[in-house]
Amino acid sequence: MTTLGKIFGPGTRHAVPLIVFLLIGFAAPLLAVIGFSFIPARTFELWQSWSLDNYIEIFNSTSYLSFLWSLGLAAITVLILAIICYPIAYGLARVFGKYSTLVTLLFTIPLFVSENVRLYGWVLFFIKNGVLLGTLKAWFGIEPDSWLFTSGIIVFGMVYVYLPFMLFPMTLGVSMVPDQTRDAAFDLGATRWQVFKEVELPLSMPGIMIGFLLSFVLAVGAIAEAKVLGGQQIIPISHDIEIAFTYAQNWPLGAALAVLLMLVVGTLVLFVLRRFDLDAILGRR
Amino acid sequence: MNGRSPILQLHNLTKTFGSFTAVKGISLDISEGEFFTIVGPSGSGKTTLLRMLTGMESATSGDILLRGARINDLPANKRPTCMVFQSLALFPHRTVGQNIEFSQKIKGVEPAKRKARALQLMAQLRLPENYYDKSVTKCSGGERQRVALARALAYDPDILFFDEPLSAIDYKLRKTLEKELKDIHRETGKTFIYITHSLEEAMVMSDRIGVMRSGQLVQVGSPQQIYSSPGTKFVSEFIGDVNVIGVRATATTGVHAAEFGVDFVTQPVPAGFGEGHLVVRPESLRFLGSRSEAQNCLEGRVYNEYVLGSRIQYQVRVGEHVFIVEKLRQQAFAGSLDDQVLIGWDAKDSILVTD
Amino acid sequence: MDGLTPRWRTSLIWAWTAVIVVFMYLPGLCLLLASLTSSRYFVFPINKWGVAWWEKTFSSLEIHQLFKTSITIALCVTVIAVVIALFGALAFARYDWKGRSIYQKIVLLPIFFPQSVLGLALLLWFNALGLTMSWQTAVFAHLVWIIPVCTLVISIQVYSFDPALEEAAFDLGATRWQVFKEVTLPVLFPGIFSGALFAFLLSWGNFPLSLYTTGADTTIPEYLYAKMVAGYTPGVPVLGTVSTVGAAALLLIGYGLILILRRRRASAPSDT
Repeated sequence: MTTLGKIFGPGTRHAVPLIVFLLIGFAAPLLAVIGFSFIPARTFELWQSWSLDNYIEIFNSTSYLSFLWSLGLAAITVLILAIICYPIAYGLARVFGKYSTLVTLLFTIPLFVSENVRLYGWVLFFIKNGVLLGTLKAWFGIEPDSWLFTSGIIVFGMVYVYLPFMLFPMTLGVSMVPDQTRDAAFDLGATRWQVFKEVELPLSMPGIMIGFLLSFVLAVGAIAEAKVLGGQQIIPISHDIEIAFTYAQNWPLGAALAVLLMLVVGTLVLFVLRRFDLDAILGRR
Repeated sequence: MNGRSPILQLHNLTKTFGSFTAVKGISLDISEGEFFTIVGPSGSGKTTLLRMLTGMESATSGDILLRGARINDLPANKRPTCMVFQSLALFPHRTVGQNIEFSQKIKGVEPAKRKARALQLMAQLRLPENYYDKSVTKCSGGERQRVALARALAYDPDILFFDEPLSAIDYKLRKTLEKELKDIHRETGKTFIYITHSLEEAMVMSDRIGVMRSGQLVQVGSPQQIYSSPGTKFVSEFIGDVNVIGVRATATTGVHAAEFGVDFVTQPVPAGFGEGHLVVRPESLRFLGSRSEAQNCLEGRVYNEYVLGSRIQYQVRVGEHVFIVEKLRQQAFAGSLDDQVLIGWDAKDSILVTD
Repeated sequence: MDGLTPRWRTSLIWAWTAVIVVFMYLPGLCLLLASLTSSRYFVFPINKWGVAWWEKTFSSLEIHQLFKTSITIALCVTVIAVVIALFGALAFARYDWKGRSIYQKIVLLPIFFPQSVLGLALLLWFNALGLTMSWQTAVFAHLVWIIPVCTLVISIQVYSFDPALEEAAFDLGATRWQVFKEVTLPVLFPGIFSGALFAFLLSWGNFPLSLYTTGADTTIPEYLYAKMVAGYTPGVPVLGTVSTVGAAALLLIGYGLILILRRRRASAPSDT
């Protein structure tokens, strides 16, 4: 311990268990996936001749459609979330005062219930003879078509599931704007809109960007919404990967798809995170 | 000062938060070009008052008149006034130049023109020209003060408000900046309204001072008036170390101090003064060779001494009562600690105040 | 409020927040309604209310086994996650060291990673190592995602921790271990407690990681998913409601405990 202490400072020493764990539990599995993506299709043995066949197969298939769907749905989800969440983030940071902990708690609780279960609640809501359509039928005698199994409902589900992931970073961002800075801009003659554009938005950008990033990345990897609400009308990329691993029993192909998804997500995450000082966002003095 | 017309008039201005009254019926006239300072301890309502004047808080009742026009309902961004904030509130994502030009950019002034104005202000405030493109987060404390002041001046306000901008600055720099601010006031000729909890700071800069306590203005006057004739015990203690003795009026120029069982000679006792306090400044007290050397005298023991640069303070205990005696270094007390001494003062230094 | 937020805007923000809160809880309400029927299928408005499915679900041995598996996994995850995350958080927020900035970003990576893909990657990895999937491998899989979350939660407490406290204790003659036990641990306790709460609840509700890594064992979210896809009974909403209400109750109780702890600390600072 003493020699170790001489080589490494206390920070490094405290980081060791977590780093070792992430090497075994995160880096190694990802390397395994990368390794698997290079072995012949429909085999399960890592140590054999490697090739690029799986990637070639992907580019010759329709998997790019799944990719586009995932990216597109995620982008729409993020935009909707930004509009929904900003007023609430503003409220949590500036308006609710002592009630903001309670409101935060209300938005936290659903995070701990499996998303399948919550999405199934929406199925019960939207399904024919369900809570919405059943009520409409009983009270007003109208019977519109169910919205289930459409691409719109998938976005709806993703907005629902990923809302807290946009809201919380955004709240951190908005609360990073010092009160007096806003007052100062106002005092210097800025209108409400100018205060927002010139001061509030740029100063809360780090939190907002992290919210965008987090919800986008999670939405790109989303699978449950399309399966539970979308009735498999649309196959997002994660579903493609899952099919390759399960029904098709083609692990190498699934691994290759996963590698591509990891590349997109990883690039985006590293690109955005590199620009921010996490200490400032998470509240170091 | 008297010849000038009032730029800002307050009539019975009041602010309540629920059942709590932060500002209670303040009436005040401030003249064009005046440096007016509001002094008060924290919680006295001075910040609330200032926020009402700037338009960041609405008044519950009463009027705020700017050159005779009621501006109560005018929001802060429409008022021709500007504030330098306690935290300075510089925009951290902007350079020094962008901070100073903010209000002009808002107004839509063309870039070349506003840059010229910014550089002119920077020169006036002794900020180097190459700071124009420097990030404000990289400026030192004093530089940030100047940027904040330049930003407010660029707005060309009729009145400049200051919310204790110097409170977080170390003593030496603060003393320099206080003088600089007074110079700027002279150069610009604008009306400055300043709030602080330090009467010392107020004394250095102000034309007039208003002392606030529990939401009310308890005394308004020139620094000299506040210093030499504080109206209440609160104001006198606010000035700094003073000796306060509880007394009861007994004659036209005499009071009785029950604590010591003796009478003291004072300035003429104000009409209607019954019970109150006798205030004696530390520098008015002196060590006596004999009782006949001063009009009022007490005997005590030197308990401790404190060197304050050019001056020295002595703690003298008369029974349980602690007195502070202040001497210039050249006139230091010759004896040693625990010596029995006579301390005394004259009638002209006996200030009588009410509670 | 301040001059920048007029009352009508404040009211609008409250109203909008209320609408979204209702939106967040609407599916939970639907589950509750669906569980309170005594018929086999869900038709709304419900004509035959009843709690028969609640009784049936709670007396089922299969469900008992599911609860046991889920709780075992969640408890193991909580204990391991808190220990590793506590040290991880100290490295994240307490100490200044050379690799800290990169370390912080690496810790965040698993959180920013699609869980279903992570689950599959772990399946591949375990398989390559020749492990058989069971609840133990699921514990490990949960940890990959939950330890970083837990680290982040504890870090927020660590950020407000004054390192001078440790130095003071050290200066007063405490050993390194005593400093940790007497100062660091109690001061950081609220953060550690929140971290534990998060770890437990996130493990309890996790589906994508469990799906690929539990093998023959089954957790409640997995069971519910299987039943949703094929073989719906009102037992599904019953279990769904139980897990929603359970999570809410646990969180509220935990939050209440933290409040009490904080209040007691504020009123009796000398008491430890």
